[in-house]
Amino acid sequence: MPLKPLDIYKLLPKKNCKECGDPTCLTFAMKLSGGKAKPEACPYLDDNAKTILGASTRPPVRRIRIGVGERALTVGEELVQFRHEKSFFHEPGIMIAVTDMMPAESIKKEVIFVRDWVLTRIGTDLRLNGIAVRSVSGSPEQFARAVGAVEEVADLPEVLMADDPLVMEAGLSVCGNYRPLIHAARLLQYREMCRLAKKYGCPLAIKADSLDSLAELSGLCVAEGVDHLVLDLSSPNLHALLNASTAVRQHAISRTTPALGYPVCIDTGLGGLSDASLIAGVTKFGSVLICDDLPGASRKALLVLRQNIYTDPQKPIQITPGLYRVGTPGRDSPVLLTVNFSLTFFTLQGYLEASRVPCFMLIVDTEGLSVLTAVASGKLQETVVRDAIGKYDLANEVSHRTLIIPGYSAPLSGRIEEITGWKVLVGPRDAADIAEFLEKEWKP
Amino acid sequence: MGLTPLSEWSGQIGELVIGATRTDGGTRSHAVTIGGERDLPYIGIPPSGHIPRVAYELTDDPSLWQSAAIRTIGDRAHDPSDWAAFAEKELQPDLIRLYLSSTRRRGFSDLSQIGKTVEAVLQATKLPLIIEGSNDPALDSSVFRKIGEAAEGERVLLGTAESGRYRSAAAAAMAYGHSLIAQSPIDINLAKQLNILLRETGLPHDRIAIDPYTGALGYGFEYSYSVMERIRYSALKGDTDLAMPLISSAADSLTVKEVREAEGGDADQAAVAWEMYSMLPATLAGASIVCVRHPLSIAGLKSAIASLWNGQKSVGV
Ligand code: B12
Ligand code: SF4
Repeated sequence: MPLKPLDIYKLLPKKNCKECGDPTCLTFAMKLSGGKAKPEACPYLDDNAKTILGASTRPPVRRIRIGVGERALTVGEELVQFRHEKSFFHEPGIMIAVTDMMPAESIKKEVIFVRDWVLTRIGTDLRLNGIAVRSVSGSPEQFARAVGAVEEVADLPEVLMADDPLVMEAGLSVCGNYRPLIHAARLLQYREMCRLAKKYGCPLAIKADSLDSLAELSGLCVAEGVDHLVLDLSSPNLHALLNASTAVRQHAISRTTPALGYPVCIDTGLGGLSDASLIAGVTKFGSVLICDDLPGASRKALLVLRQNIYTDPQKPIQITPGLYRVGTPGRDSPVLLTVNFSLTFFTLQGYLEASRVPCFMLIVDTEGLSVLTAVASGKLQETVVRDAIGKYDLANEVSHRTLIIPGYSAPLSGRIEEITGWKVLVGPRDAADIAEFLEKEWKP
Repeated sequence: MGLTPLSEWSGQIGELVIGATRTDGGTRSHAVTIGGERDLPYIGIPPSGHIPRVAYELTDDPSLWQSAAIRTIGDRAHDPSDWAAFAEKELQPDLIRLYLSSTRRRGFSDLSQIGKTVEAVLQATKLPLIIEGSNDPALDSSVFRKIGEAAEGERVLLGTAESGRYRSAAAAAMAYGHSLIAQSPIDINLAKQLNILLRETGLPHDRIAIDPYTGALGYGFEYSYSVMERIRYSALKGDTDLAMPLISSAADSLTVKEVREAEGGDADQAAVAWEMYSMLPATLAGASIVCVRHPLSIAGLKSAIASLWNGQKSVGV
């Protein structure tokens, strides 16, 4: 739990000197409590206040960055166990694994695929995030060669997977400056791995047999000067995995065990149930998900699940109400009414584009509710439609006076006609049928 | 001793039994018990309560069913008892959910056929059953009575009661010893309210399963996922009006764009992926029964659930 503003206020010097950039100590305390300011901004904190505030304002799950540039992956900074409590923030990165036994050409093909593949949904591009390189051969040269093949193609975030520090160093000598995740330090070799992490400024994944030894190992790494850590919880046993990831999230956000306050990494290729591990990883607190093989159908479903779980539950993804054009509509083109829920807008827009009929989309404000939900809750009403027609000056955009409304809003058609004076044409329920509908029913 | 999940719950989910064996006066080969948890899904060694179950959905009117679901079923789809027998033998779900979709056709009147279908399916499979009746208040009374009667003694789970129409289904459940699915549209307060209404009819709490309505993956699933988590959370915190096991169905999955527009063999893979990627998360959010329509979804879901439950590849009944 973050400290309350008043508790923080008690710790502050109460000089109201404004040096922190805030008008008073109290407003500064409120910012600190909300995580919107750093304690360092006040030059007069005593040591006691510094330690207490230092601990309580650092996010309970540390923020970690993997990779550099546009595609760099940021994970961590999560605050809650259930998304309905606030929201989950940083989507887990999906890292497709290649091995150092693969010919360079196959590696490159895989990397190009990860770089370029994209699924566009609700106006957002959903992508895979990076590449994991597994050392299977045990040879440093071969590992370096595989990492080199990845580097030749793209600057994607990478996970270097080798237990032998010598092999790891060979990989890092190729791509160490691009901040790959070093995977993984264990109790036996953590000193060497920490040395590499420091030398290259890379985040470090750590791995141990139990959560207790993992917490111990995390403390040891911090003592070595490495505190950008990722906890590896991979297990072929999904029960063990889920219990561990749940425990880590609970211990982290309650600040019960700060040594577990780091993002979680899961190698989903271990138990032969990769779909299930990926699902557990996305829903239950995974941040870096490594997977060997992701068939097309699973890939799409996985990215959609991730998008669903990581949307903000307090507000639906919305678009700005207004008059939108599909193609280059003229004065006799049809006008289709719909709501400002993004999913609805983009679904309808997609089918309209496919129909190749230029038209207008009149988007009314339903506070982001879908058609049926808006009708059921009364957010879509004749008055809303009338106001939108006026506001967006529809009467001057088109020469006709006909409005096509969604099939699911049919009960409103009479009332819309009455209040607006426009003729209402009830469209199909499913937007997939819109092309056929326009062809048959639309005459200006 | 060791770092484990931090559990501080006071409540417990109630248990619900579906199916009656010979000793209980029915003809099922076994009964399925769900619920009973004192913690979050799958948490604890061993986890508390009962393992989530997979139900396979079929219908008496395949023309109303998604083609993705019946493509591989072939002619059996025209006879629900053949279909059920095949499912029990080849697909091995934990339960069968029979939709009497014919009651949803305009002008439906053949009540006696409903009774016959239920009896034939009970003959054809020994698995515990979930049976879905009409969704029209004008028909509910006669349809639910017919189903209740035909399945008397078998302790089926009847569906579906909603806030606007729950009396007939509840009356049939009480008169013939069945349990009831209580569905509300993705809202914890509406779910609670319906349970209170049902309590007032006299239906005991241990005969109710909550269906908070499941939007398809990519089409509202996030709301359903969170409402399930919230219901489970409130129940564990001690709200007994929400402490019933949850049931979730991927029914809408097979009509989403991504599945409809996939072709050939890809269509099966898309359907299975969409069901898997919504129903396994549903169990993680708290669902005790998850329902699928694609025959190839069952095995994968069952082994994933088994591994989440105790790390094994499969769990016996
Ligand atoms: C997710 C969801 C919610 C979310 C809201 C999500 C959102 N941003 O809208 C939440 C949980 C908040 C919710 C709340 C409610 N919901 Co709700 N919800 C759903 C659910 C599962 C999916 C809705 C969705 O996203 N659909 C996808 C979008 C793309 O669909 P769409 O907007 O309708 O668009 C399609 C068509 O209409 C068409 N189309 C769109 N525009 C146009 C335009 C033209 C011209 C044409 C021709 C076609 C067209 O194309 C699109 C694709 O085919 C549905 C069930 C379902 N399967 O639909 C229930 C559902 C819509 N909800 C329902 C209800 C009752 C409610 C509540 C009233 C319940 C309550 N709590 O009181 C509330 C109302 C909201 C409120 N604030 O009070 C009922 C509606 C019953 C009815 N038939 O009227 C449904 C059907 C569930 C059910 N079976 O009970 N809901
Ligand atoms: S700098 Fe410190 S003492 Fe000065 S106003 Fe800000 S919080 Fe108060």
